[in-house]
Amino acid sequence: MSLESHELEDLKTKIGREPTSTELQIVAAEWSEHCSYKSSKKHLKMLPMDGPLVINEKGYDSGVLDVGDGYVITAHIESHNHPSAVEPYGGAATGVGGVIRDILSAGTRPIALLDGLRFGDIEKDQHAKWLFKNAVTGIADYGNCLGIPTIGGEVEFDECYKNYAMVDVAAIGFGKKENLIKNHAKKGDLVVLLGGATGRDGIGGSQFASDSLETEDRSAVQIPDPFIEKLIIEAILEARNEQLIHAMKDLGGGGLSCAVSETADALDIGIEMDVEKVHTRESDMHSDEIMISESQERMLIVTDGEKLIKLRKICEKFRIECSVIGHVTFDNKMHVKKGETTIANISTDVVANATLLDLPSSKPIYLENIESPKQFPQLSDYSEILMKLLGSPNIASKIWVYGQYDHEVGIRTVTKPGYDASVLRLDNGKFLSIKIDGNPKQCYINPREGAIGCFEEACRNVVCTGAKPIGMLDHLQFGNPNDPEIFWTFLESLKGLTDFAKDFEIPCVGGKVSLYNETSDGPIKPTPVIGVIGLIDKKPLMIQKINSGDSLIMVGDTKDELGGSEYSEYIHKFIGGKCPAVDFSESKKNMNSVLDAIENELIKSAHDCSKGGLAIAISELCMINQIGCNVSLEKIPGEKLDSDKILFSESHSRYLLTIENKNLPKLEETMKKHNVSYSLIGEFTGNSICFTRDSKPIIDLSVDKAQNTWYNSLREMVLHA
Amino acid sequence: MANYRVHVTIENKPGISDPEGKTILNDLVLKGTHQNVTRINTAKMLKFSISEHDKDAAQTKVQEICDELRIYNPMVSVVTIDVFDA
Repeated sequence: MSLESHELEDLKTKIGREPTSTELQIVAAEWSEHCSYKSSKKHLKMLPMDGPLVINEKGYDSGVLDVGDGYVITAHIESHNHPSAVEPYGGAATGVGGVIRDILSAGTRPIALLDGLRFGDIEKDQHAKWLFKNAVTGIADYGNCLGIPTIGGEVEFDECYKNYAMVDVAAIGFGKKENLIKNHAKKGDLVVLLGGATGRDGIGGSQFASDSLETEDRSAVQIPDPFIEKLIIEAILEARNEQLIHAMKDLGGGGLSCAVSETADALDIGIEMDVEKVHTRESDMHSDEIMISESQERMLIVTDGEKLIKLRKICEKFRIECSVIGHVTFDNKMHVKKGETTIANISTDVVANATLLDLPSSKPIYLENIESPKQFPQLSDYSEILMKLLGSPNIASKIWVYGQYDHEVGIRTVTKPGYDASVLRLDNGKFLSIKIDGNPKQCYINPREGAIGCFEEACRNVVCTGAKPIGMLDHLQFGNPNDPEIFWTFLESLKGLTDFAKDFEIPCVGGKVSLYNETSDGPIKPTPVIGVIGLIDKKPLMIQKINSGDSLIMVGDTKDELGGSEYSEYIHKFIGGKCPAVDFSESKKNMNSVLDAIENELIKSAHDCSKGGLAIAISELCMINQIGCNVSLEKIPGEKLDSDKILFSESHSRYLLTIENKNLPKLEETMKKHNVSYSLIGEFTGNSICFTRDSKPIIDLSVDKAQNTWYNSLREMVLHA
Repeated sequence: MANYRVHVTIENKPGISDPEGKTILNDLVLKGTHQNVTRINTAKMLKFSISEHDKDAAQTKVQEICDELRIYNPMVSVVTIDVFDA
């Protein structure tokens, strides 16, 4: 856990002398992959980051979007994979805490959380079960204590995460544009550390996150304290209202080292600080430990002497500690003292800007033939397979997870978890829809198409609520980047996301790269997780209950794309086949047609087809509405395919619309206007999920039986198996 | 074989914060008249009753159970095991 030899040489050249031990610690923390993005930064620039609604300000940790009427929303995504893999409860909880402080540091109030969780095979692996159960509890305990609703997310299991945990947290903030912190500093301004005491927990966490998990060195666990976090939120927002904050940054990976150097570098100032002024939990802490401790629930604030008096009063009121640890200078140096002794004095530009790498990449050999198709045996009855899929860990209802989260606190949640995307009410009468999606199975088979697929799926989900996508968050999670094959998959995914973002004019407003995600069995599958934020100007689609006689319309073509599907992998244990690919023009047409239908109030509900394919998506509609259906496979739009391909292919850009028959002519008109491929594929009736092909039954499954399995199997797996 | 009572105390490692203990200290104890209290740590205790050959065997067995079943996470917590005659 220190600099590599060439980095040490680099540092020596840059500062022209031997670094002190404290300087070494500071630079090692800041130059770690986790803080510096040294492997990825050069390439991340390709993503489009500007747009008509994007507000860019120096030093922001979160993306800011203008939602009109003087209001903004902020959004950010972070992961806490390494800490969660060794201590799932605390790791997941502190992951939530960290991303909330990123939202707070822009001067906005956090209003919603989303979590993406990934673990190993919970059907067989006791350890995966333990990780899963505790990570969910950690998130629930932390978010619920703070009074911030956890409104959605996703859960997935794959053997590539054996003994590992992927915990991604996205947070959304809301506030007035005029209250945004305009990060700036004047000479003589004071630097204040506010919040929890600095302790030995999480020493060296960011370097730890940049190493593979093979070593037993796991001292870097952090203990969550949601009550201090809540007090910090309220204190900061009060200080913001009284305009006491010149600049602000949360302390995350790399602790004080990173917060101080990055603040100074972003604002083009210097900071002189004294480690003895930092309030610590233990009296015998070494100054290097103080500089790199990753104790949670701390914020760095730049203010002036006059405002400090008021700030102290607010801190007293909320009973949180605050210490003046230093002041702003204009020499662009990070000057750290211990009392009167200088222990580090180094240019912030050197600390905050690690030498960026241009790592080699080469196409992985495993990809050569992975997309060659495989024919599975055709059955006359797929009822049993559908049942098996409905009870499988990746498809079963996640109610056991989101049922533990308070998703309504704050009374903004209009559409709650369990549907395509959740919807939040904003104070200006508009609505916000958010969803995060990932699909490592498809990204493994085709990193480019898989990543685009995650992006499009998240778009589809927000479109199903009536929202137009306005911003994207990307979280790129891969194995060791020094492996050219892994780095190639990273680049391919990134290029795919860039192409889609540019074509659809959806700016990337925030993101994170997490590398070195490796287990004892090797690297994880490429796991980009994409969050899409959608805005609804008028009103969201209020989902209505489906009644007997209502029709089911399908928009978008079903293709021969079983690669990475649950059907291939869970039922046939086959990794490979053609990965679903997004046709950009088709995708755009389909999105617009669905938005048009929602805006004109033609439909009762819209649902996207994704994991498990068409058969699962239709079953979900039946189970949620407790009604049967009759669907004819020969009417499904797209070329003529085998029944299993129609049922379980996970082709993108497909939507299921439910509609009262009286609105059918108008809907057809809309679909024709947008020139999309669509068809009336069936109707809702009875108590059974029925699929037929040329009048022959293919699936006949009782809704009650299906629902029982779908709702309960995940809980059974976690608690009783 | 004799019966033993075994108390397993699970608490955070020294140096790791204990928000619950700190809250009890600051918001309950120090708000009263007990200003001489300087620290409170929370812990969880499991009380086992077990029959074993001797005290040492009882202690070893319980330690094994705690490790194997992940009764505590060694990354965060330490356990103290006390054995008493039943």
